[in-house]
Amino acid sequence: MKQRGRRARTAARSSSHGARAERLAPYVLVAPAVLIIVVLRLWPLVLGVNFSFTGDGELNGSPVGLSNYLELAGDPLFRTSLRNVGLLVLLLPVAVAIPGLLATFIYLRVPGHRVYRSVYFFPAVLSPVIVGAIFNLMLGFDGPLNAVLGSIGAGPIDWLGDPGIAMFTVVGVHIWATFGMALVVFLAGFSTLDASLLDAARMDGASLRQIIWHVIIPSLTRTIQFVFVTTMIGMLTSMFGLLFIMTSGGPEGSTYLPEYYIWHQQGQMNRPALASAASTVLFVVMLVVGLLQITLLRRTGRQD
Amino acid sequence: MPGMRLARWMAAVPMAVLALATIYPLVFTANVAMKTRRDYILDRFSPAGSLRWDNLAEAWAGAGMARYFVNSFVVVACAVFLLLLLGSMAGFALSQLRFRGSSVIFLGCLAGLFIPFQVIMVPLTRIMADSGLVDTYPGLILAYVAQYLPFTVFLMTSHYRTIPAEIVDAARIDGNTVYGVYRRIMLPLGVPALLSVGILDALFCWNDVLISLLMMPSPEHRTLMIGVNALRGQYSDDIPTFASGVLIAAIPLLMIYLFLQRQIADGVTAGSTKG
Repeated sequence: MKQRGRRARTAARSSSHGARAERLAPYVLVAPAVLIIVVLRLWPLVLGVNFSFTGDGELNGSPVGLSNYLELAGDPLFRTSLRNVGLLVLLLPVAVAIPGLLATFIYLRVPGHRVYRSVYFFPAVLSPVIVGAIFNLMLGFDGPLNAVLGSIGAGPIDWLGDPGIAMFTVVGVHIWATFGMALVVFLAGFSTLDASLLDAARMDGASLRQIIWHVIIPSLTRTIQFVFVTTMIGMLTSMFGLLFIMTSGGPEGSTYLPEYYIWHQQGQMNRPALASAASTVLFVVMLVVGLLQITLLRRTGRQD
Repeated sequence: MPGMRLARWMAAVPMAVLALATIYPLVFTANVAMKTRRDYILDRFSPAGSLRWDNLAEAWAGAGMARYFVNSFVVVACAVFLLLLLGSMAGFALSQLRFRGSSVIFLGCLAGLFIPFQVIMVPLTRIMADSGLVDTYPGLILAYVAQYLPFTVFLMTSHYRTIPAEIVDAARIDGNTVYGVYRRIMLPLGVPALLSVGILDALFCWNDVLISLLMMPSPEHRTLMIGVNALRGQYSDDIPTFASGVLIAAIPLLMIYLFLQRQIADGVTAGSTKG
C-alpha cells in the first residue's frame, strides 16, 4: 500500500500544487457524505437524547430531569405501544419462518417455483400507503376476506375495528407486504449452499424435515441471522405508513407503536421533548432486541 | 425418493394459494376501479363488465394527482442523483484510497445505518425548521439524502472493494488525477451497483410517508403517497374513484417491478452477502 502511495505521488509530481490537491482528494471525496451523515444523523441522536431531559411548552429548553420518562411510564398509550412491540417480537419467528419455508420449497424446485419466486416478490415494491389502502378495501366489513369466511360459514370479523384483533391484522398485512424481500435474501443464501451436502442427505434417505433441520438451517445461520435482524428493524420502523392509513393508532389506541406515538406527540400534541424521550426508549429497545437476537442466534449457530 | 416428490407436490398447493393471495388484492382493487358507484354497492365482486376510465380520469383530475406526481418525481430524482453522486465518491475513497481516518469515517457511516429515522425525527425536524428548510423541495431532498446515504455509501464501498487495486494504479501511472480516476474508471465500473442501489433508493424515497409528512406540511407540496391518503377523505363515499387513485399511484411501482425486478433483488441481497 505504501508503494501505491509513492507511485501516486510520482504521477502527480507535475507541480507542488497538484501534489497537495492529490493528497487532499480523498477528503474532498468523502467530505459531503460525512458532513451530511454527521450533521443530519449522528448529531441529531445526541441532540435528541439531550432534548428528552428538557421540558415542553412553557418549560421549553429548561432541564426537567426524568419527568418525560416518568410521564411515558404512566401513559397508557405508550404502554400499549411497548406491549405491541412485545407482540411483534413474539410474531417475529412467524415473519421469518414464512419466507424461509417458501424459499426452501422454491429451492427444492416445487412445481412452478420460478413463477412463485417473482409473484411473491411483487408486494415488496408497493408502498405501505398503497398496501394499506388496498387492504382497507379487502378488510371491509363486507369486503372479500369476510366474504371468503362467510362462504365457509365463519365471520364476519371486524378486522380493523376490534381492539383485540386490529394489531394482528396490521402485522399480518405488514408480513404480506414484506415477506418477498426476506424471501429474496433467503434465496441468495441458498445459492451459496453446498448442493453436494443436500444430495448426500437425500441419498441417505433423509426426510424433508430432517433436511431442513440438519442441513439447511445450520448452513444458513448467517442468512437467518440477517433476516431476523432486518425483519425486526422493519417491524419497528416501517409500519408507520400502514398505521397512518389503516388505523391511525385506533381502535382505542390498540394499534399504537412507538413510531406512531412519537409522530403523534411531536406533530399533533406539540410535545417534542416527550416525543424525544419516546425516541430514546425506542432506540434502546432496538439495541437490546438486536443484540439479544445476535447473541441468541450465535449460540444456536455454534451448537450445530 | 418418492417421499420427496410427494412433499414437493403437497407444498405446491399452499404455495399456489399464497400466490393467489399475493395477486388478488390488486386485481380486486383494479376491478373496483372500473365499476360505477352503483355497481360497486350492488355487487363489489363481480367482474366489471367493461373497461371504464371515468373513475381514473376523475381521480387524476379531481384530486389533483398530477401535482402530487410532479412533486414526488422532482424530489425523488434529485435525491437519487445526489445519493449516487455522494455515495460513489465516498465509496471510491473509502475502498480504494489510503488516507488518515478512513476507517473511522467508514464506521461513522455504518453507525448512521443503524439509526432509524424515528429515533432522530424530532431533533432533525427542528434542525430543518431552524434552517428554514421545512416545506421546501431542498429540505425534503436533503432529508432523503441524509436518510439513505449511509446505506448507499455502504453498498458502493463494498462494490468498489471488488475492483482490483491494479486498475487504479495503472490509471494513476497514466497520469490521471484522483478525480480523473473517479470520473473515467470508477463511475463506469460502478454502473451495475449504481443501478441497483439507485433503484432501491428511488423506491424508498417514492414510497416514504413519514419523512414527507414531516418535511412538507402544506397541501400543494404533498408527495404522491400523502396525496393518496388525502384521497381517502375526499372520496370516502365513492370507493371506485378512491380505488382508481390507488391504482394510478401503484402503476409506476408495477412498472418498476415488471422491468427492474432483478436489480431490486440484487440490491436487497447485496446487504446480506456483503454485510
